[in-house]
Amino acid sequence: MHENQRNDLSEQERAEFAALARERDPGRLLEERTVLTLREQRLIGKRFRPRWYRRLPIVAAGLAAAVALFAAGLAVGQWIGTRTVAESMAAANHQTAMQAAAAVQRAGSAYVLALTALTQVADTAEGSAVAQGREAALTSLYAAVRELVLLAPDDPMAVALRQEFERMRMRGRGTADVTPVTNLVWF
Amino acid sequence: MQPFEPLETPTDVNATDALAQLGDRALAERVQRDGDDTAFRALYRRHTPRLYQFTLRVLGGNEPDAEDVVQETWLRAVERLSEFRWEAELGTWLTGIALNLCRGLFRRHDRRWIAMREDLDLVAAPRQEHERIDLEAALTKLPPGYRTVVILHDVEGFTHEQIAERLQISANTSKSQLSRGRKLLRSLLGPHESEQVRV
Repeated sequence: MHENQRNDLSEQERAEFAALARERDPGRLLEERTVLTLREQRLIGKRFRPRWYRRLPIVAAGLAAAVALFAAGLAVGQWIGTRTVAESMAAANHQTAMQAAAAVQRAGSAYVLALTALTQVADTAEGSAVAQGREAALTSLYAAVRELVLLAPDDPMAVALRQEFERMRMRGRGTADVTPVTNLVWF
Repeated sequence: MQPFEPLETPTDVNATDALAQLGDRALAERVQRDGDDTAFRALYRRHTPRLYQFTLRVLGGNEPDAEDVVQETWLRAVERLSEFRWEAELGTWLTGIALNLCRGLFRRHDRRWIAMREDLDLVAAPRQEHERIDLEAALTKLPPGYRTVVILHDVEGFTHEQIAERLQISANTSKSQLSRGRKLLRSLLGPHESEQVRV
């Protein structure tokens, strides 16, 4: 502070500074040179391009970038969406197979339980009713064996059971023509 | 090949004179909207003498550099006219652009151009009477950092806060630069304090 005060300008010095020229003409040549440069850059003159026009390439590049970004976003979104649907479907299928297997297990248990019950009442119950129950049990068993062969065509047990059923049915109808069950083609 | 566009014709001279009556803003709008070079010439002639003198002084009297800076200042100004908010005078804005360009030039020579120079010998060699120089010449002999602050403060009338903002330095640095610049300036102006104005 003290040094600054000591260094303050005197009145005479202020006057000297105030007397310095504030303007100087650089000459006509600089004006023409400047005008020429501005014309070359199309900032003025007959080939003038307004600011928005000069910015057109930048705007176009920005638009292109925006479109590319949008398209990329859309593609990624679609991919994610598709993947989610596929995953959901796979999960649903898995869920359905599990449910079907559980249903088979439940139905099998119920079937065996029902047969057990039928067996227990076989001695006391009416003969025709028991025969009807036995026929229903065999029909169900036959239908089940048929589905089992479709489900596991390579399973020897399933194939043998079906062949035996076919033979018995044919015998029942008095036909000796038995079509052997061979492996099925599963698509 | 680009069509030939003649430089200023006598008709243009009359038109430029007529446009000289218009204010800065009206002229700038013509330049910005229509690329009107007559309006540009009117603006140029109004502001360039002061701009040139300022630039020449800051650059220590280097005329070719000062001309380049003035031309580049106008180029940048016309390019950015739409960004100018007219909250300050057009001349002040132009001076700011020119000052930035000068700083760029100084920095090209010495990155620490505005830094405090403690090693600088502030006592200039004593001069003979016939070697006495005037204030303008003494200013050219100051190091760029001191010269710029002295010009902005003592010639152009900027405050230390304004100088600090424009040169991106602290106000304290500006004060120190000014103090040392003035000291050096006085020593450059000669030892005859009693008979000569101390500057």
